Amino acid sequence: MIEVQNITKVYKTEDVEFSALRGVSFTIKDGEFVAIMGPSGSGKSTLMHILGCLDTPTNGKYLLDGKDVSTLSDDELADIRKNKIGFVFQAFNLLPRTTVMANVMLPLVYDGINAEEREKRAEKALASAGLDKEYFTHLSNQLSGGQIQRVAIARALVNQPSLILADEPTGNLDSKTSEIVLGTFQKLNTELGRTVVLITHEQDIAEHADRILFIKDGLLEERGTHVKRVANHNAEEETAGTVGSLASPSKIRVLPDHKNNKGEARLPTLPAKK
Amino acid sequence: MKTYDLLQQTYAALSGNKVRSGLTMLGIIIGIASVIAMTAIGQGAQNSIQASIQSIGSNLIIVMPGTERGPGFQVSAGRGSAQSLTIDDANAIAANVTNIEAVAPQVSGRYQVTAPGTNTNTSVDGVTSSYTTVRNVEVADGSFISDQDVAGNARVAVLGPTTSDDLFGTGSEAVGQQIRIKGQPFRVIGVTVSKGGSGFSNADDVIYVPISTAQLLLSGNKYVNTINVSANDAQNTTQVQNDITSLLLERHHISNPASADFNTLNQSDIIATASSVTGTFTTLLAAVAGISLLVGGIGIMNMMLTTVTERTREIGLRKAIGAKKKDINRQFLTEAVMLTFLGGLIGVALGWLGSFAITKLGVLDTSVSLDSVLLAFGVSAAIGIVFGYYPAKKAAEMSPIDALRYE
Repeated sequence: MIEVQNITKVYKTEDVEFSALRGVSFTIKDGEFVAIMGPSGSGKSTLMHILGCLDTPTNGKYLLDGKDVSTLSDDELADIRKNKIGFVFQAFNLLPRTTVMANVMLPLVYDGINAEEREKRAEKALASAGLDKEYFTHLSNQLSGGQIQRVAIARALVNQPSLILADEPTGNLDSKTSEIVLGTFQKLNTELGRTVVLITHEQDIAEHADRILFIKDGLLEERGTHVKRVANHNAEEETAGTVGSLASPSKIRVLPDHKNNKGEARLPTLPAKK
Repeated sequence: MKTYDLLQQTYAALSGNKVRSGLTMLGIIIGIASVIAMTAIGQGAQNSIQASIQSIGSNLIIVMPGTERGPGFQVSAGRGSAQSLTIDDANAIAANVTNIEAVAPQVSGRYQVTAPGTNTNTSVDGVTSSYTTVRNVEVADGSFISDQDVAGNARVAVLGPTTSDDLFGTGSEAVGQQIRIKGQPFRVIGVTVSKGGSGFSNADDVIYVPISTAQLLLSGNKYVNTINVSANDAQNTTQVQNDITSLLLERHHISNPASADFNTLNQSDIIATASSVTGTFTTLLAAVAGISLLVGGIGIMNMMLTTVTERTREIGLRKAIGAKKKDINRQFLTEAVMLTFLGGLIGVALGWLGSFAITKLGVLDTSVSLDSVLLAFGVSAAIGIVFGYYPAKKAAEMSPIDALRYE
């Protein structure tokens, strides 16, 4: 569970102070799929860095699984990242000229887990991410964009983190591949019960989540767009259908909101899940 | 992170860019190879000089006349010019000093030597039979000067191989021939085995005659130029040298050792001096080679800095998935040390081959010491640590956020 209490982040250069976050508070429960959405410069990247324990807030508290991580040292943060957080990046960031398996096993290497156990866990993670077994021994630069992002998702899963953080995971993908990747996230959330936080600037991407946190100018405006999802416990071929059925109802509800955004007309704000 | 994983990652990183890794290593390879080869050459030179000093004799102490002393004042006519040593001194040394193998007095001079049709100017040494023991002289043909020859003032001569060739031509029989030294006829009774050496101090360009005959017919006085003493063991040379000094001081009625009319030279002193000279040269050669090693090290640092910049995003990713500073630091440090270590390994092999080639070509008997190999390994690993430290530190201290964003 994530609890963020009134965090601020101030960047100081020699003569300019810039507040990227100006007091943000929210809670994300275990097993939730939340999107953080905002235009560039809104502070969503800074928020993502703090949630991912890559950075610490200037003020305020960040409780991850009940532990305050906002004042930890660099090495302690590294341990939290290793054990509790899985990252998926826009730029994929796989090691080049390295096999899919080696890439997925990399977080476990830093955990000192033996080779046999590593392979077992990596294969499981890759299966969860929906990559076909035939690609396991391919080099990372021999894969397509969608396949690469699945490897990255598997890598984020492999250390069984309590939180999967995806930073613009579909930013470099075409719309069809994006749907598949987002479907994978939804599956992780519904089937494996993983907490997923998706950072994006695109409304239709954010709509795949249970709840959307809107951020603008360093402040949160929680408009709460809940998407009733159809549970999917079946095989992979149903994913596409599921994604479609997921996307449709959300669009009906949210698109008007999106269009009316500038006109100040909003749907009534739903209370955040507590 | 386990060592095996670290090594595997290092291998992957280095083999990912083989040409660059190879070229970077080349600097270390050349540096280490030249250090090994240079010290091997220096060591070889030292061994060869020591061997030639050893060939003069074994455990040798040489007694020579000192500066000539006049009544009340000192006439400095050069070391060895004084006439202060006699055969009686040599006999006294043989009788009174313990731990002596042999004593060989010697009268030396340079004279015109003629054989039918040729003549030459060479050094003529008046010696006794014990000279062979003391100065490691062996006879190749005929025999050496005997005690009877000395007792009977025999007019016999033993030629060095060079003198024999000069007088009678290469390959012709010298034993039994007649020669004239300073106009006096001598019969050749033997030719010695070559000792090697050439030029000014050619030990083969010499004629040996009985010491009594030399005093009577050539120098015309009762003095000797040198008393060669051989100790029975290398450990006893200092004791023998000290005993000779006190015995001769007593015999010559000199109370102050500083005004002694003779000098003693210990062979081990000569070897020590020569060794320190060649040792200095070896150090000099190694230092010059060491500079190339330093240049190689800077090459390593340059490459590691480039690598760290190139792999900024990889560093960011590794940090994001939980690598600590020390993990990143160790990764890049291992890469640098691996480069220098492999370079050192190849360098030692090349240096060894080079030294072997020099030996095979007959230039010099080089000798690769285990010390220099171990030192080379140590130095190459140290270079990896020293020049890899800064790039590794730079990598470890990158902020994961900036590193992930790096384009």
